Amino acid sequence: MGKAVDNQEERQTEGVGRPGRPEPDPGIVTTRIRARFGDTSVSTGNAVGCESVIAERDALLPFMTFLRDDPELAFDYLVDVTAVDRLRLDEEVRFAVVYQLYSHKHNRRFSVSVPVPEADPRIGSVVSVWPGANWLEREVYDMYGIVFEGHPDLRRILMPDDFGSYPLRKDYPLHGKGERDNFVF
Amino acid sequence: MTTKVDAVVGWARKNSLWPMPFGTACCAIELMATLASRFDLARFGAEAIRFSPRQSDLLIVSGRVSIKMMPVLKKIYDQMPEPKWVISMGACASSGGVFNTYTLVQGVDQYIPVDVYIPGCPPRPENVIQALMKIQEKVAQAKAN
Ligand code: SF4
Repeated sequence: MGKAVDNQEERQTEGVGRPGRPEPDPGIVTTRIRARFGDTSVSTGNAVGCESVIAERDALLPFMTFLRDDPELAFDYLVDVTAVDRLRLDEEVRFAVVYQLYSHKHNRRFSVSVPVPEADPRIGSVVSVWPGANWLEREVYDMYGIVFEGHPDLRRILMPDDFGSYPLRKDYPLHGKGERDNFVF
Repeated sequence: MTTKVDAVVGWARKNSLWPMPFGTACCAIELMATLASRFDLARFGAEAIRFSPRQSDLLIVSGRVSIKMMPVLKKIYDQMPEPKWVISMGACASSGGVFNTYTLVQGVDQYIPVDVYIPGCPPRPENVIQALMKIQEKVAQAKAN
């Protein structure tokens, strides 16, 4: 029993690299990012066995381009873009857009999380860095209403074009707001 | 005399149904099994499944229909020439099934007329065959024109 609690504490301190929490030993990706952007620009962690970073949305594009082009990192493959709605969780900023990256060259995974406030749900599009982001960002836009600035074709991808809500937001009811009974065709 | 004509036409129709499958989910897999050799829908003259509403007289809705898909289904139904019949296969097509969610039509019969409902998730091929036989009864009784 006591051991389990210990483990949990360990996981929390080791795990999520939030500001104010002790950080784990920096891995190679973290070290590389620090060398390029300085110590303060990012906070890193090692949550699920791969390194991760919480990045600022303002300087996202240069940051992502660096991750792709740096020969030591070479994250040439954008595996997924998704978002987290942290409504009613103990977080200052409601949304986080999460990018999962993979480097074929180094067989290494990396995860970038970018907080996006509810009042201003905008973030730069990374389509210019990884063209595969196109549909992934459309899906995040469709489900969470986060606008990807600079996206070449930001339309809904799953829901009908005239759908008024963003259904994966946590304050959207499971049964919808009557869309399934009141749609026109 | 007209009853005789009706009977002959009905007999011909019921033994040569041309289903239009509208398979949008897992139920469609059972529908395929129904068509294949073990269950062999050809025994009922309904094996000529074509994705061609203009040549079909039996619409089999097998699977979930979302609010984005419903206009497509409606259009396919409208394209089918009269007379036409509809089977709603499985819980999802008939009532939304377990998917009581924001995007799923809670029963296609809200938008198109359904003749036979098949319960189950998914219904076994035997259920599909029984539904087809029910449709055949209905077809046999229909007026020739
Ligand atoms: S009724 Fe069951 S088997 Fe059929 S489409 Fe729905 S979930 Fe799939």
